Amino acid sequence: MTEDKGVSMEAAKKNQVKNGIREENGESTPYIVKIKVNGILHELKVGYDIQPSHTLAHVLRENLGFTGLKVACDEGACGACTVIMDGKAVLSCMTLAIEADGREILTIEGLDKNDPVVEAFAEQSEPGYGTAIQCGYCTPGFVMSARALLDKNPDPSMEEVKEALSGHLCRCGCYPAIAHAVVHASEKIAAKGGSKNE
Amino acid sequence: MNKGFKPRVGRKYIGSYRPRMDGLEKASGETEYIDDIALKNKFPGMLYAKILTSPYPHARIKSFDLSRAEKIPGVKAILTYKDPEVASLRPFSDSWTDGANNASYDSMWQPLTKDRRALSDHVCWVGDDAGIVVAAKTEESAEQALRSLDIEWEQLPFFLDPREAMKPGSPVIHPEINPDSNILPWNPSCGPHIESDEATTFGGAEVEELPPHIVAERGDLEKAFGESDVVVETTSKYSNPTQGVLDNWCCVAKWENDNLTVWSNSYQPNQTRLFYSEMFQMPMNKIRLISPYVGGSHGRGDSGERPFFLYTALLAKKTGRPVKFKHTRRQTFCDTRTEQYAYCKAGAGKDGKINGIYIKIIGNSGAYSGHTMSCLHLIPLEYVEVSMAPIPNLKVETYGVYTNKLSSSCMRAIGNIELNFLIVLGMDKLAEKLGMDPIELTLKNFGDNKAVPNKSLEGVLREGAEKIGWGRWHKPGEGRLYNGTKKRGIGFSFHNGWHTSWQELRRGPMQVIIRINPDGTVQLDAPTVETGPGSNSCCIFACSDTLGVPVEDIRWISTMDTEISGKDQVQTDSAVSHILPEGIHAAALEAKRKLLDLAAPKLGFKAEDLDIEDGRIYVKKEKQKGMTIKELLWKGDLIPIVTSVSMKLPGDATGVPFMAAFAEVEVDTETGQPEVLKLVVVSDCGTVMYATGAEAQQIGGQCMGLGETLTEEIIYDEATGVPLNFNFIDYKMPTMADFPEIEPVPMEIWKGAGEYGACGIGEPVLCCTPRAVANAVYNALGVRIDSVPITPDKIINALNSNLRSE
Repeated sequence: MTEDKGVSMEAAKKNQVKNGIREENGESTPYIVKIKVNGILHELKVGYDIQPSHTLAHVLRENLGFTGLKVACDEGACGACTVIMDGKAVLSCMTLAIEADGREILTIEGLDKNDPVVEAFAEQSEPGYGTAIQCGYCTPGFVMSARALLDKNPDPSMEEVKEALSGHLCRCGCYPAIAHAVVHASEKIAAKGGSKNE
Repeated sequence: MNKGFKPRVGRKYIGSYRPRMDGLEKASGETEYIDDIALKNKFPGMLYAKILTSPYPHARIKSFDLSRAEKIPGVKAILTYKDPEVASLRPFSDSWTDGANNASYDSMWQPLTKDRRALSDHVCWVGDDAGIVVAAKTEESAEQALRSLDIEWEQLPFFLDPREAMKPGSPVIHPEINPDSNILPWNPSCGPHIESDEATTFGGAEVEELPPHIVAERGDLEKAFGESDVVVETTSKYSNPTQGVLDNWCCVAKWENDNLTVWSNSYQPNQTRLFYSEMFQMPMNKIRLISPYVGGSHGRGDSGERPFFLYTALLAKKTGRPVKFKHTRRQTFCDTRTEQYAYCKAGAGKDGKINGIYIKIIGNSGAYSGHTMSCLHLIPLEYVEVSMAPIPNLKVETYGVYTNKLSSSCMRAIGNIELNFLIVLGMDKLAEKLGMDPIELTLKNFGDNKAVPNKSLEGVLREGAEKIGWGRWHKPGEGRLYNGTKKRGIGFSFHNGWHTSWQELRRGPMQVIIRINPDGTVQLDAPTVETGPGSNSCCIFACSDTLGVPVEDIRWISTMDTEISGKDQVQTDSAVSHILPEGIHAAALEAKRKLLDLAAPKLGFKAEDLDIEDGRIYVKKEKQKGMTIKELLWKGDLIPIVTSVSMKLPGDATGVPFMAAFAEVEVDTETGQPEVLKLVVVSDCGTVMYATGAEAQQIGGQCMGLGETLTEEIIYDEATGVPLNFNFIDYKMPTMADFPEIEPVPMEIWKGAGEYGACGIGEPVLCCTPRAVANAVYNALGVRIDSVPITPDKIINALNSNLRSE
């Protein structure tokens, strides 16, 4: 994989790169962005397949068909577009596709069907909290943030769960059930022999 | 550990705590919404439509020049209000039905306020669709084309405050609707419902002809006030929150020959097809509407006759390509609750018996009529007939007024939440003046008929009082201090449920088709668009309970397609989770009878001696004797058993149940910051259809209920009419960090007609929240904040003016 971290500001300033097409020795070569999504490498020609202005959310959905993430606000306010980039939950609507060059992305499609977080969200139903899902539009974003949290901190306190997930909006208001689903996911990870800290 | 609610009638699925049927599909991100379908790789050659929006609160396009825009690369078509296919379309209302029934152009819900055009040179708020729309190969090209339009605008006088706009002689915003005034014409169809052939009325009572703007009047109000020992007067202001749905309005239109197909997130696809048919004068069978899951309703789609449906289809026809239209986040801020300035006067005797109530409301309709008159006419009329039935003398007077703010439309708990905020304030004041416990005053005066106390109301109030610790209620402002500067208080509010068989008299018949395949699996066509409340789970549970087939073997058809599905039950009126299961129960009983009739000779018993459980038909007295449904049907031509019903609810006048909310708040007297510490949400559901789902509604409804109580409001620049917070950062909806402890309390006290006799709770659950919190703030501080949102600045100002007056 290339070490080049995308179109540099210096190159852009020197006008060598226009609309993502590198001009060298008078010849144009499109820059190729390489993004690994759920373990599979995708190469995208800048200026052809994608534009420098395209967000990661746009490219994942429109070019690569990963429609699990949702674009609801397109301005970093709702969290529905959350994916995991190099182990960290990021807002894919606030990340340019070219910024993801050379990075590894995990989308909800990359989670196992029996992923403990997915299962816990689906199963959440004990009295007093309601369901963790209603309309489901925000759910993939919450699941990915919860997954990133539990990867780093397999046994979070309720305060840590709230801190990690308060960048997300759920207009159906499933917050208490979502928080409990994350706790249950943590228990599932521990039960599966995960690294739950005691 | 919360042990949860115990159902009155034990059933396997209905009334139980269990995961949603669509839980795994949604949690794994597999569920497709309209934006996941409307992709270029699924619609090759698809174009993107973008609409010009108004920069002014009130203006007219004097002239335009398209020549620069047409030259933008990628632009395929530009449609304007002058084009004959647009100009020839009749005017309409974006709320021509309340969603509960389909309505033709002639039977439109609000026939006197057809103030919408597909494209118009006349714009009525900042951000309004203006008469030019572009279709281009990319969204960027379409946006660039819009920026390249040369437009000459004529600015017109504008109003933001309805009290100003309604003054005689004010410049008129919609002269085509009312040439003399900005007051909306009084709309007779908002009284008795449009439904069905016969004229139905509320609760069987005749609705008298009343003068315009008088919703209801009975008894002698002046005499009643004269005879009262105490009389209170109060004013309140309700704000303009918006639905805040994440799944932005979106559609894709495609023509094949002269057939139109539209994929969209309309949750009333049959009505949207009718909208197209009536507007384009096209036969219904040439129009196909497809709706997948929708990412939240919250009332939005009830104002669903949107101009974009029309111009997107016209662009698709003009270009011969599929065309997609999707709102940006900014554009989704396109309608709100009806902002209200309200007045209430109430008089009572020393015994706490209310003699009379007078209510006057001025509602801000905004740029278009939307659902203003549903909010200001239908809802108060329902309230008067139900909750206020025991009150002998009353008068309700309402005015809807056009201004140049966002259009007032349908939003979850439409009209009820505002009315609750006003009336229960009056009750709280009366109780204080009489020195009575407000719970006792409520029980003496409210119910669903003249008899008091109402059992359901008493049940929810006593339960809520116990859960919040009502004994801690103290005289307003006289509680102790916490952490030096903070004061605490508790308050409650109550409201009638409103979607029960009593009211569903007015709703059209429901259609259900159950197909039992020869392998024993079931396809359930219970046509509705699932928007989140879990109606699909309720439908499957009801089918399983009655038919005796396990839920895993029942497939609920999740995509509404007018070409194959029956007439849909629209996700409105909080009604689907309890209405549709009544039809499913009837259809499943019929399907079960067919199965048992077939099985009887094979098993050598009478049909009535047989039953079905877990997909197996068995002899009741000898359970080991039996056969699976597959063993019964897996033969010959493998014909499925199909049962369809088209039925109305029994419609017996069984009254309605009640709902309540109890809040405990803490207010910092130094900063004015209010914090809700605990909210108890009590709902008499009649029958709890799905316990986890009901609690999800009781808790989840507070994202909206608490949001509009504390933080949600659209803010306008008074000088220019420009809305300032059209985004999810400055328009503040609650997040997980903002949620207090919420205790859901589902109950079964009342019971309506039918197998389940349930009442919808999706709207009532949030209806009591603003008033419960406002009364708790009063209890804490001894000063009232009678407008929402209840913000720190209002609290500080109120505390300061209280100090000055002391």
